Order: sequence, then C-alpha cells, then structure tokens
Amino acid sequence: MPPDVSVRDLVKQYVVPERAGGLRASFRSVLRRKHRLVRAVDGISFEVDRGEVVGFLGPNGAGKTTALKVLSGLLHPTEGQVDVLGYTPWDRRAEYLSRITLIMGQRQQLFWDLPAADSFLVNKAVFGIDDAVYKRTVDLLTELLDLGDLLTKPVRQLSLGERMKVELAAGLLHTPRVLFLDEPTIGLDVTMQQRIREFVTAYNAETGATVLLTSHYMADVKALARRVIVIDQGKLLYDGALAGLVQRYAPHKTITVHLERSVELPDLNGQAEVLSVEGLQVTVRAGKDDAAEVTGRLLAQLPIADLSVEDPPLEEVIDQVFRGDGP
Amino acid sequence: MILRRTTLAGALALTRAEIADMFQYRVVLFLYSLWEVVHPIVYLAVWGAIAGEGEVGGLRLSDFAAYYLTFMLVSHVTAAIEIYTFGPMIQQGELSPHLLRPMNPVWVAAARNISYKSVSMLLLIPVWIGLVIILRPTFSITAGSALLFVVALVVAALLAFLVGTTFALLAFWTTRSFSFWEIWIGLTFLLGGQVAPVELLPGFVQNLATALPMRYTLGFPIEVLLNRLDAGELALGFVLQFAWLIAAALIVRTVWRAGIRQYSAVGA
Repeated sequence: MPPDVSVRDLVKQYVVPERAGGLRASFRSVLRRKHRLVRAVDGISFEVDRGEVVGFLGPNGAGKTTALKVLSGLLHPTEGQVDVLGYTPWDRRAEYLSRITLIMGQRQQLFWDLPAADSFLVNKAVFGIDDAVYKRTVDLLTELLDLGDLLTKPVRQLSLGERMKVELAAGLLHTPRVLFLDEPTIGLDVTMQQRIREFVTAYNAETGATVLLTSHYMADVKALARRVIVIDQGKLLYDGALAGLVQRYAPHKTITVHLERSVELPDLNGQAEVLSVEGLQVTVRAGKDDAAEVTGRLLAQLPIADLSVEDPPLEEVIDQVFRGDGP
Repeated sequence: MILRRTTLAGALALTRAEIADMFQYRVVLFLYSLWEVVHPIVYLAVWGAIAGEGEVGGLRLSDFAAYYLTFMLVSHVTAAIEIYTFGPMIQQGELSPHLLRPMNPVWVAAARNISYKSVSMLLLIPVWIGLVIILRPTFSITAGSALLFVVALVVAALLAFLVGTTFALLAFWTTRSFSFWEIWIGLTFLLGGQVAPVELLPGFVQNLATALPMRYTLGFPIEVLLNRLDAGELALGFVLQFAWLIAAALIVRTVWRAGIRQYSAVGA
C-alpha cells in the first residue's frame, strides 16, 4: 500500500517586505521597497502511512504550519513534490478536499450568530454527505466529543473550548481520511486539552484516519504521536519514534537517590554534577555514557533507600534540539 | 467553473444559513439599506424642480417619479456589496477555510449578496409602497416591457455581482481595493443612469454611457420597464448587456485564478 502522505524535498519560500520603523523609513519604502526571502520550509522529505499519527514539533516559526498548509493545498510550494492520497494538494480538486481536513486552532468556519447545527448543514450540502451517513457521523462525533446540546446554541455563546470541539466536529463531518490538525489545543485549559487528545486517539482508532498534527504543547505530542517529526528553521532535524528522540538528543540522565541517613557525598570523579540536595534526597546529572558507572558508584558507596534514573523531561530535550546542542 | 451537483446544493444551503444570519442584524440592515433606497429622492427633487409644470427632454415630473421609484428597487437588487463582504474575507485570511471546501468561495459572496437583498427587501417594500402613494408616478408599463424588465434586471444583478467581485478580488494584491471601487461608483453615478436618466445625457456622453457597462447594471432595466427605448435601442441594449456579462464572467475567472495563485504563493 502506498503511503497516504509523501513529501519529497519540499521547499516553501516567501517574499517578505521589509522596512525599519519610523516615518522616514516609511517614505523611503514608497520609493524603493526592500524584500527579503524567507525559506519557511527548507527541503524536507518524509512519508506517512495509512492510520499513522505523526506529531510535528518545532518552535514558533519553524515551518510547521506552512508545511500543513502545503499538504492541505492552501499553499503551493516553491520546490519539491507532495502526494497525498494520490493527489497533488494545491490542485485543490473537489475529490481531494473531500478526503482531507485542515483544522486550525484559531480559524473558524462556523457562522458566529447561528447554532453550529446550521453550519453543519451547510457542510453536509457542500460535501454532498447523504442523510444516513451524516446522521451516523454526527452521532459518533457527539459521543466522542461529548457535544451534548452544544450544536443548538449560537456559536458566539460557546466557550473557547466548546467552540474548538464544535469546530473539530465541523471539520470531520465528511469523514476525511487524512487529518491535518494545526495546534488543535491552543488556548485551551488542561482538561479540555486532555479531552481533545482523547478524541483524536479515539477517532484514529475508530476510523483508521491518518493524522498529522502540530503542537507546541509537549503533552499533546506525548499523548498522541508515537512518531514525531522535528522541524526547526524549515529543516527536518529528526523523524522517528518519540522515545528515540529522547535517546538521541538527551545528553544526560537524571539520577535521584533517597538516602537512609545523612552522609557525605562521594567523589563523583567529574562524571556527574549535583543538581540539588534536599534533606535526604539528592539529584545528580550524569552524562548519558557515564550514567551506569555513576549509578553503580552511588549504590556501592551510599546508604540508599531508593534510586531512580530518568531521562530529562521532553521539554528539556526539545529545547536542546532547537538550540543545536545535540550530538 | 464547472457546476457540480453538490455545488448547487451547497450554495443553496449556504444562502439559507446566510439569510438566517442576516436576520440577526435586521435593524442595522434596515437602517443601512434605507438610505440606499431612499437617496434617489434627492435626484427626483432636483429634476422635479427643473421640470416644474413642464418637461425636460420629454420627461415630466411624474415620469421622473416613475424613473427614480423604479431606480430604488433596481439599484437595491443590483447593488454590489462584495467589496464589503468578500474583500475583507480575503484580506483577513478568512478565505482559507472556504478554500478547503469543494466549492468555489465566490459562492459564499453570492450567497451573502442574495441573503442581504432578500432580507432587506422585505423590510423596504413597505417604505417603497408608501413613497409610490405619496409621489404618484406614471408607470407606462406593458406586459412585454415587464417581461423584458425581469430579464434585464437579472442580467444586471449578475453583471453587477461579477463587477463587484472583480473589485473585491483586488484585495489579493492591494489593501486599497476601495480606491478602485470608488472609480467604478463615480462612473456609475455619471453614466449609469443615476444622476440623470441616460436619455438626458448630452450626445457624446450618451454614446459613452451606451457603450460602457455601468448603464447595464442600473439604468438599462429601468428604461426597459418604463418603455423608454425603441426596438433598435432595446436590441442593442440587450446585446451589449449580455456581451458585458460574458466579458465580466471571463474577467472574474481570470482574476480569481491569478489571485489564488498569488494567495497560495505568498501565504494563505
């Protein structure tokens, strides 16, 4: 089976007008406009198989959204080939658009003053969804997203989180096979973020849809994607399992020991650094390669009640990747 | 643009929703369109003062009353509002969600146009009837002229919509599309049968008005209804009106394609 999404050497370049602040600069820009080329996406390649959930990770401005816009057909790339479900996205053929969805955190396609149900009916007609399928889909989405009576309230009366749920549902009425989710949990509280995550997981399991999502909430990615693609400044830095990312980029491990009684710490031979001593709990950081040896030494020389070795938090690892401190 | 089965159903559903949405703003809408409809009273007053008890170019006061009362309805039906509805959508990036549906977003503009007019028309008809009772116009309408009027009015509305959409689409390139629109408005004021019925314009200007598209979005249907044209003028008028309609459709299509190319190149 060919992959659902195939991207080869994708480049997207923008021309951005540029001028300094101030009146003089604004006069000057009337006469001579300065432009700068920005490579938002700079030669990335990857494939996504049917039913996979892939997380795009990257700091603001990394090119995540641009990539999703190219994949969904809103932007045509400067260079490179993209194939989604056998279509070239930016041709925006009706058959293609009926098989995908792009949901953007802050964009809304719902009529503000009307109940969402009215907007749903518009989508039903536009996508040519027949009555039985429509009813089944709305029932499924109502159950998975716990929509309750949200569909009959004017959209302007919904909270941000409620609106996001309804927006998601609106974007899924035509049961797309590929979902592009751009920051689906942005601005939502922790409970609602959790809800949306559970929904995406359930939807993926239920329908076998392929999901590509961007987020800068690490929790989203941890919960949803077994595979991550890390982009920074338009370049692909990592593509693989989430666990592998930590292994590859986390340069150290954190060793936490609980002592039975207060003692002098042994000489760590410069292989580890003491991060904190709080009562009987000592936290040290050791290089990845030294971690085993340091742990051994601690166990041999200290009266230890409990010991744990952990990878640093994902946030820290990602930060490391983006700063280019990685190996 | 190939018309797909779902496109028509989609446009219909969209129009229904837009109408429901419009009703939320009925008071604002009424006040807004009231001026649109009533301002021809000003032209009527001026021409009435000039005509007095006599006539101007063969038109008596009651003829001017008929002309400008018809004008009120026609100008409302053919009003192009796309620069206010569709242009801002492009400028503020609201086009993207619409581009991801299998229906050309120009249909969104069309739905909004139709819903605006149908809702505000409901509110304005009583005002109009009141004016007819007060102003006592002489409508010299025949069954034939009424039939041709319907055709001319529908084509005028389509033509005006396409022109309005073309100007709105300039928002793909410039934030100043309003300035260009003002030029069109100015030309329509002079040559479209607004400040004066086209038949009263001096010879050279009248020829210009006959050739250019503005009259076919406004003055022409009124002249057809009130039997102001002979057979030759009528035939020429319809030929030119249809010609401009086809031209406008081609222009919209070209500008739309170029605009989308621009939009998807610089960032949607």
